Amino acid sequence: MRALIVFCHPKTDSFSGAVLETVKARLDAAQAEYRVRDLYRSNFSPVLTGHELDIYLDEAANTEPVAQDVADLQWADTLIFVYPTWWYGLPAMLKGWLDRVLVPGVAFIMPKDGEDIRPGLTNIKRLGVFTTCGASWWLTTLIGAPGKRTLTRGVRAICAKGCRTFYAAHHLMDSSSPESRAKHLDRVGQTMDRLTA
Amino acid sequence: MTRALVLAAHPVPDSFNAALHAKTVATLEGRGWDVDDCDLYAEGFDPVMTEVERRGYHDYPENTESVKTHVERLKAADALILVFPVWNFGFPAILKGYLDRVFLPGVSFVIKNDKVAPNLTKVRRLAAVTTYGGTRLRAIGAGDPPRKCVTRAIWHVCRPRSMKYLALYGMNAASDAKRARFLTHVGAQLETF
Repeated sequence: MRALIVFCHPKTDSFSGAVLETVKARLDAAQAEYRVRDLYRSNFSPVLTGHELDIYLDEAANTEPVAQDVADLQWADTLIFVYPTWWYGLPAMLKGWLDRVLVPGVAFIMPKDGEDIRPGLTNIKRLGVFTTCGASWWLTTLIGAPGKRTLTRGVRAICAKGCRTFYAAHHLMDSSSPESRAKHLDRVGQTMDRLTA
Repeated sequence: MTRALVLAAHPVPDSFNAALHAKTVATLEGRGWDVDDCDLYAEGFDPVMTEVERRGYHDYPENTESVKTHVERLKAADALILVFPVWNFGFPAILKGYLDRVFLPGVSFVIKNDKVAPNLTKVRRLAAVTTYGGTRLRAIGAGDPPRKCVTRAIWHVCRPRSMKYLALYGMNAASDAKRARFLTHVGAQLETF
């Protein structure tokens, strides 16, 4: 197994960091290879520029500004996201990674006349999503969980047919306790065990 | 006089989205509204919430320090209109980051007993003007995250009297005539909302 972990949190000592460590430990235990893309520590710029949009459809040029990310994506058979949910969605930093890296020719194949867009990430067979939410499960569900759906439905739609999805979230993060956090890390570990099985 | 804040999020000045943006501003000004036209790309808005901002996130009013002007502009608005393209099933990062950094506790919402209570109720009218590359069916299949973010998440903190979600689907294959019709539709809808 070759996993690309996209990690997004501004704090180094965050609970998301602890989730990342759990994910890595389980990958080590399963003797999986992995690469970590730490968006904040590498000062990733999430803003898709006018120039990038100009070359968006030019498949010979559009990967050039994000070449390493594209190489990592194409190397992996497993894609894992670890991030906090802000405003029911992905942090801008992570949303921008999708905007800039999931370009035509890599993430999806643009339609010819009369066709629909086709998936491009057919090398990705497992998708893991690990997040924390300030809101309760009820409120998140009522809003429709836009962040979760962006990944488990939107991104999954461009992965391999039958790509398996694994998801774990800690809700009401702002009133979490050491016990609730420990319990969640257990859950992350169990979810990872299913993912690596 | 109604004061409208228009948030636009497209980098290319001659794009169809820029035309929608111009139409939106012209229509609202035509109604005699006072329009605060905030083009996030042109203003160089930084969407990345920093470590310091994250640590102080819940401490109002100190949490507004780094985005003071944007908070003042948002608080002054009686109408909020978002103009954006849908990229990868969501807002462009620059607009998502506006929510992350400006829609703060104490500004757009307050947390009472673990519950989110609305705090932007000055906004009586909420609208989105947007374009999707894919079809409506594809958006529904993905759960339509940007629509839910506007009509549920942002709606929840504003509780507006009137809301419009104006979307053109299938942009990748849309003819000039279809685009022109949508542009006219947007004008007509914003004229009456």
